[in-house]
Amino acid sequence: MLTERIENARQQYINNKPSISYDRAKIWTESHMKTEGEAVPIRRAKAFRDTCEELTVNIFEGELIVGAVGEHRRCGILTPEFSWTWVDREMDNFSNRVQDPYVITTSQKSYIRKHIFPYWKGKSLEEAFLSQLPKETAKVVVDTGFVDNDSKWRQAVGEITPDYEGVLFKKGFGGIIEDAKIALSKLSRTDAEDLKKREFYESIILTSQGIIRLAERYSEKAKEVAARESSKTRCAELIKISEVCAKVPKNPPSTFYEAIQFVWFTQLGGILSENPLALNPGRFDQYMYPYYRTDIDNGIMTDNEIQELIESYWLKLSEWVWTISANTAEFFAGYNQFQNLTVGGKTREGKDATNELSYMCLRATERVKTHQPGLSVRIHQDCPKSFLDEVTHLVSKGTGFPAIHNDTVGYQMLLNAGYEPDDARDWSNCGCVVPHFRKTSEWTSAVNINFTAALEFALNEGKSRLLGETIGLDEKKPHQFLDYEEVEVAFYKQFDYLIEQSVIATLLAQKLHKEMVPRPFLSSCMEECLVSGKDLVDCGAKYNIGPVLTGIGLAVTANSLAVIKKLVFEEQSVSMKTLMHAIEVNWEGYETLRQQAINVPKYGNDDDYVDDIARKIANYYYKTCHQYKDINGNAFNTAFMGISNYLPTGKVLGATPCGRKAKEPLSEGVSPVAGSDTSTPLSAMRSAAKINQDVHSGGTLLNLRLNEELVNTKRGQSNLGAMIQTFFALGGFHVQFNTISTETLLEAQEKPEQYKDLLVRVAGYSTQFVNLSKSMQDAIIARTAHKTY
Amino acid sequence: MKLLKGDFLELQNFSVNDGDGIRTTVFFAGCPLMCEWCANPEGFTSAPKIAYYEDLCVKCGACVPVCPQNIGIDLNSMEARGACNACGECVKACETGARRPLVHSYTVEEVLKIIERQAIFYRYSKGGVTFSGGEATRQVSVLKALVDVLYDQGISLSIETSGYFQFEKVAPILQKMDLIFVDIKHMDAQIHFDYTGVSNQMILDNIVKMNTLKIPVVIRIPVINGVNADVENIRQTAIFVKKTLDLPQIELLPYHAFGNEKYRALGMKTPSEHFSSPDADQITALEEVIRAEGVHIVSYK
Repeated sequence: MLTERIENARQQYINNKPSISYDRAKIWTESHMKTEGEAVPIRRAKAFRDTCEELTVNIFEGELIVGAVGEHRRCGILTPEFSWTWVDREMDNFSNRVQDPYVITTSQKSYIRKHIFPYWKGKSLEEAFLSQLPKETAKVVVDTGFVDNDSKWRQAVGEITPDYEGVLFKKGFGGIIEDAKIALSKLSRTDAEDLKKREFYESIILTSQGIIRLAERYSEKAKEVAARESSKTRCAELIKISEVCAKVPKNPPSTFYEAIQFVWFTQLGGILSENPLALNPGRFDQYMYPYYRTDIDNGIMTDNEIQELIESYWLKLSEWVWTISANTAEFFAGYNQFQNLTVGGKTREGKDATNELSYMCLRATERVKTHQPGLSVRIHQDCPKSFLDEVTHLVSKGTGFPAIHNDTVGYQMLLNAGYEPDDARDWSNCGCVVPHFRKTSEWTSAVNINFTAALEFALNEGKSRLLGETIGLDEKKPHQFLDYEEVEVAFYKQFDYLIEQSVIATLLAQKLHKEMVPRPFLSSCMEECLVSGKDLVDCGAKYNIGPVLTGIGLAVTANSLAVIKKLVFEEQSVSMKTLMHAIEVNWEGYETLRQQAINVPKYGNDDDYVDDIARKIANYYYKTCHQYKDINGNAFNTAFMGISNYLPTGKVLGATPCGRKAKEPLSEGVSPVAGSDTSTPLSAMRSAAKINQDVHSGGTLLNLRLNEELVNTKRGQSNLGAMIQTFFALGGFHVQFNTISTETLLEAQEKPEQYKDLLVRVAGYSTQFVNLSKSMQDAIIARTAHKTY
Repeated sequence: MKLLKGDFLELQNFSVNDGDGIRTTVFFAGCPLMCEWCANPEGFTSAPKIAYYEDLCVKCGACVPVCPQNIGIDLNSMEARGACNACGECVKACETGARRPLVHSYTVEEVLKIIERQAIFYRYSKGGVTFSGGEATRQVSVLKALVDVLYDQGISLSIETSGYFQFEKVAPILQKMDLIFVDIKHMDAQIHFDYTGVSNQMILDNIVKMNTLKIPVVIRIPVINGVNADVENIRQTAIFVKKTLDLPQIELLPYHAFGNEKYRALGMKTPSEHFSSPDADQITALEEVIRAEGVHIVSYK
């Protein structure tokens, strides 16, 4: 049973639409007006400090963990320094847009337009990016759905895990200030290299002072509210809050309560500094465990009290929302902030790492059903049965959580990316399914590349079918291809081109991030930045990993090539001309041919005919991307992860030879096309495992739907556990399940008000079903539900 | 061995209700019984059969010119069924999957190959292979060939049988099983005969003999309202099981009509509407009756 306080907060969370606050943007802007001419990192650090000094401080009803991004409990903020033109264009429609609407008032809008946006005109990252981007590249990458990297020029990077073990819990921000002052005193005014370091240390002193000040203000606020509070119990709670906030994050925590409030303040600082996605709590069950142990052993807290704090934290992570454009929201649907929290796995020494907190985290998600954190588990081959049982039990609840990862493959992915073995063993997830380590600076979702667009261009003389314009490279007419090999060559030619454009767009975005948006606050959460005196954007972290290009539509592309190979060239039952005409007219009048195409082997059924094509594309993708170097000289990486990107990338494409109709969704990660894995989930797993997952160090994703009856008994859950371990033995990295019946989903579509807390997994993450647009809901319903007989 | 061929229905991978763990169920075609409620009507005989799924058919007519018997699109009329010899030409011509063979001839090697791709899932789930049907023992040499190889591979084996076979011939195969499922559809010999076409005598005798093999036996009862769901029949079954088996256990399988689609696709009359599924309360009550006789209730759900 949830405590009353948690249940109340949960009800508010599921019933309130997020509101926009311009507080942060207002303070940020006013601060920048005062610091013109100063160094960029200092300006950003001062803006952060001012925000911490002036932001509304609110303690909501019954809260145990305090700190909010704005005046509302469910609240999104604006970061005009990254981009504002889309907000200006879209905010009149914020409340009624289909995916991820926000509440914003008329007076808010007029204030923003009058006092905030004018200052940023010509100064935002977005404007710089668009004005410096080569025209040819812009045609391919700006809001097209063919190649998309707008989250790297309309938004901050995020994609980071604060280093609690390494630095924050050891020193506190007070200690960081002391260290920075010592480092500053050693710098030379005549050494050119020290010039930037001086700016860096000064900037992190400012941000550290800021976050400490914010906590102090909460401490004062709690005291003030306590004085007016009539309930004795609540009064005592508020006094406790006041004490905790007086201590952390300035000082290292000594209790679980202090530690969890510290973690939330750090999270809050990260949000206020850049409104990021994928600001990950990381291995929460590991770095929090010493505090749990001490508190329990010394009778400071009970398990129930700690469970309640964890649930409070889950709500905190879910209440703030990531404010994004309608375009971005299609790629990252469901108010998702991608704050990944990973439990289980192995320790740095290689021992099993599961502890009491690992279980409590799974229970928290089951109980509060919040869409955040993105709960991930690491499962190794010797994982305790009781933990695997708890995982499959949570799967059976149909929340879509947790995301289940193969411990060994995650380790291999990091080794391949150049990590030391101890660090590789200490991995956690970033965002959705990206294996990652806390001492890292990287862009784990730099670009989304639409594989099927490359095929469309290859088969349509370089043109987009829906736009009629040339987007890709020129190509001969499809019926002039003499054999299947020529078709493949043409596909790879367009594919190369999309990869090349992705690299061009990324290099520019990286350059601009270095110049315009250094990250002093988040750099201060990174031990090696503090030692090297370098910001994250200047490679201050221990590991600097090349940007990840995410491939979308692998299955659709492989399925389509298989149809051409089999029907046009091997069986010669249809001419290329006819097939092309059929897809040109969206299969209108070609139903028989379409059925013929549907009956060609489909990826996801353990059929090498088509799976080999998918494997070949994936290998090629890795090799090609890996040849390019980013702005820091690091090789680009690849991923087949999810997000909701298979919808917008499908919308921009005409029909495809596999039988898919125009504008229908593509496929996600290494998952089969929804509804095409008609054999068994075991076959889908075998197909997915044919992709060499360990080289795609940006993560791979497999989504499956299971009939709820299959997992509603303990025995069914044990079998599911065995299935997961088998997939992992085959080399799979990630799998996640939706186990809600189709009937339930249809019912939820009809009566959304009764299903406000129904969580479903979208791709690599879960979110409320009712918060998804109709087309997204339909796509989820379409995923094959595997039954058995 | 390479040339040894058997007749099978669709093999079922990811089968989780016919024994422990994740399994592959190998359905043999052909059965000595003709149970009126059977969910696998394509398995009554081992003859090849072509199903015609009307709702998948787009009426393109591709099946018409290739048919040596000059059968039209509709394969499910009485005359068409009489004329069809299941040569399979229409299946090749059909692009939509509306024409599908439901009985397949596979060599032992082919079946083993399918199983091999699944074996890794057995390993983690403590699953294996279940032989079912139709009636697996009907094709005893094929069954033996499969069982011998799989037994040597250390794969866990079970069989789901009607119990209607010559015990001495099948015993060496049964000895390699980890679990035997056998049906008792009715305790009354006459009623059994009326609904299945055979008496239950040989079945009951074989259950007595199976007990001597010292392999766990689970008695399955397909519980069908209108046939065998009355308390008295269930009680008599439990008494027999208690008396006969060292480890007496029964699994109740409530009747379902999922097989009706196949009846229609084969142009066959669907099972009587008088057959109906017992509800959960009824099953619970019957389980109590069984337990009262000292028999364990087991479930593979």
